[in-house]
Amino acid sequence: MKSIRKIIILFLIVFAETLFAQSNVNPNVSIIGTFNAFTNFIKGSNEYGKLNFETPEMEMFIDGYLNPYSRATVNVAFEEGEFAVEEIYAEILRGLPLDLQVKAGKYLVGFGKLNSVHPHTWPFLERPLAHQVYFGEEGFNDIGFDVSFILPIEAVYTSFDIGIFKGDAIGKSEAQDPEDEESILELRGINPVVVGRLSMFYDLDDYSNLALGINGAYGLHAKSELNLNGDSTMLSIIENQYFLYGGFDFKYKYKPDTYTSFTIHGEGIINNRDVTRDNGFGVNIGKQINEQITTFGGFIYCDYQFLKQFSIGAKYDFTYGIIGDDPGSNTLSNDDKNTTNGISGWIGYYPVEETLALRLGVQHLLFNYDDDGTSRDSETIIKLQMLFSLGPHKAHQF
Amino acid sequence: MKKIILFFVILVFQVSAFSEVKVVATTSVIYDLVKQVGGDKVSVDYLCRGDQDPHFLEILPSYMLKIRKADIMFEIGLGLELWAPQLIDGSRNSNLILVDLSKEINKKEVPAGKIDASQGDIHPYGNPHYWLDPDNAKVMAKQILESLSEQDPDNANYFRSNYNKFVKNLEEKIKQWEDKMSKVKGKPVVFFHASWIYFAEHFGIKIAGYVEPKPGIPPTPSHNAEVINLIKKNNINFIVMENYYSDNSPKQISSATGVNVLKVPVGVFGIDGVNNYIEMMDYIVNKFLEYN
Repeated sequence: MKSIRKIIILFLIVFAETLFAQSNVNPNVSIIGTFNAFTNFIKGSNEYGKLNFETPEMEMFIDGYLNPYSRATVNVAFEEGEFAVEEIYAEILRGLPLDLQVKAGKYLVGFGKLNSVHPHTWPFLERPLAHQVYFGEEGFNDIGFDVSFILPIEAVYTSFDIGIFKGDAIGKSEAQDPEDEESILELRGINPVVVGRLSMFYDLDDYSNLALGINGAYGLHAKSELNLNGDSTMLSIIENQYFLYGGFDFKYKYKPDTYTSFTIHGEGIINNRDVTRDNGFGVNIGKQINEQITTFGGFIYCDYQFLKQFSIGAKYDFTYGIIGDDPGSNTLSNDDKNTTNGISGWIGYYPVEETLALRLGVQHLLFNYDDDGTSRDSETIIKLQMLFSLGPHKAHQF
Repeated sequence: MKKIILFFVILVFQVSAFSEVKVVATTSVIYDLVKQVGGDKVSVDYLCRGDQDPHFLEILPSYMLKIRKADIMFEIGLGLELWAPQLIDGSRNSNLILVDLSKEINKKEVPAGKIDASQGDIHPYGNPHYWLDPDNAKVMAKQILESLSEQDPDNANYFRSNYNKFVKNLEEKIKQWEDKMSKVKGKPVVFFHASWIYFAEHFGIKIAGYVEPKPGIPPTPSHNAEVINLIKKNNINFIVMENYYSDNSPKQISSATGVNVLKVPVGVFGIDGVNNYIEMMDYIVNKFLEYN
């Protein structure tokens, strides 16, 4: 099945230009290329201090209008030596009652402001830690649909979005093999999650603006086998475990002229969920209980574009869960004991608009373990990235 | 109860009786032309400020709100407002009429043959900075007149009368500008960005070169050196540039050659005191004469 998918994707890539060239109404075709060189300072690592190279990554975007009312977008990515359909969706943009917009397919879900923005347009190089813990390493990218409408408030752009998604992204954050669809299905069954977002945008004056948002997501994150009395001869019961994510975000931007801007952007996620915990001792050592935990994570960054071609910035991250842990019922989004802090800095050079970017970033991670003397040394990674954008892939909304 | 219903009926009819054509203009120059033609029968707003580069506008939801309320949106066209479709999509306005004001313009610098990014930011349908030729402002105003009249036929005569008044005034000003600019006619001028072809051809100015090595490409030291040689060799008096670009390179060139750097607004409200198209052109023309 996987090989057939690869062949289809390769066919799409190789023949996309040719196919579209035969049409009078060509969609846009854009390629984003990413090349990373890095070195890390992780005690005990055999890569310590060595210059290393990641396999170059590529994203191909094909997008265009289907008709006067709707658009479609396909994003095929080549990452870590594998092709994958990152996004494929259609949007009905206009013509629906109440000016609703509908989006359906596989895409970056609008939970928070940053998640729905493609990482190549972020000013920093690493995905926020809280996103890694609560959404998985690829962010909240899921299959489903959502409906969006603008509230009738004159002075402030206010939109409300609500969607239903398959929930793969939630499963990936705790499935032992996040790439194995069957193990995610086994973990969660077929149980969609509901995601909602209320966002507001306000021009403070001609040069500065503020965006605010609140978010929520609810659903089943795992069907857990619980051994309630610790007796291995007794059958375990299956317990549905639910999660509720609450989120808030803000973004302030001051842009006094063409060449300078200052941005502050922060997001927080509160995670309330059922988890399985061992609660046995003596002859009932295997006893498990269903417990409810509340954890949180978030980030805040500022980015200062001080010349047309240069920007500099810093980010602070905090999250429950230890970055780098394997997903599991006690780790990452299910971890309410241990935390990770991150401090990042970067400088970006953009020689000509968004066509080419060179970025140098550093991230320092600190791991805090709550229990029994477990510890892990802090880690530092320095990364040099070159990005290119070939074609008309458009700027993202503020 | 009947009184209340009657009140609301009157209110609704009053609102519709005073309903105006709602217009959004992509630039402040178009905004002014719509105001000149539409007068008080049109409510108009604009997206790109006069001190902003119209090539690049952030995709702000507040712009979507402006478009959302509009009946008509006027744009320069020729690929200047590549950001416009995203804003229109975001506005969800399915009744919006989009009018491209470049339709009747005699386009210049339409590239022949294959174009690609190695040539810089080339506009494939021609140079879009046509509003800097005042004759083209008449063409734009005519297009605006036709669109407004079609949208609001009851006020077509009012729009026509405003248009005639504006064109008469503009033609008088064009004569004055041509007289003034005759002093610099035929003289070579270096411009910052390739946006002055319409202005230069109207007033008979020779474009000697550009500070940008290619359209939209930031100046480089080696190109600056070429421009310095060009200025010295041709005894050039001016570098003319839009006031939203950085003047670092022009200043460097100026310190090496003594050339004057004219920073001028190319949008209405682009600088204090420039509140309409005619004042904008006055400002540009007077700046040329100031340093001649």
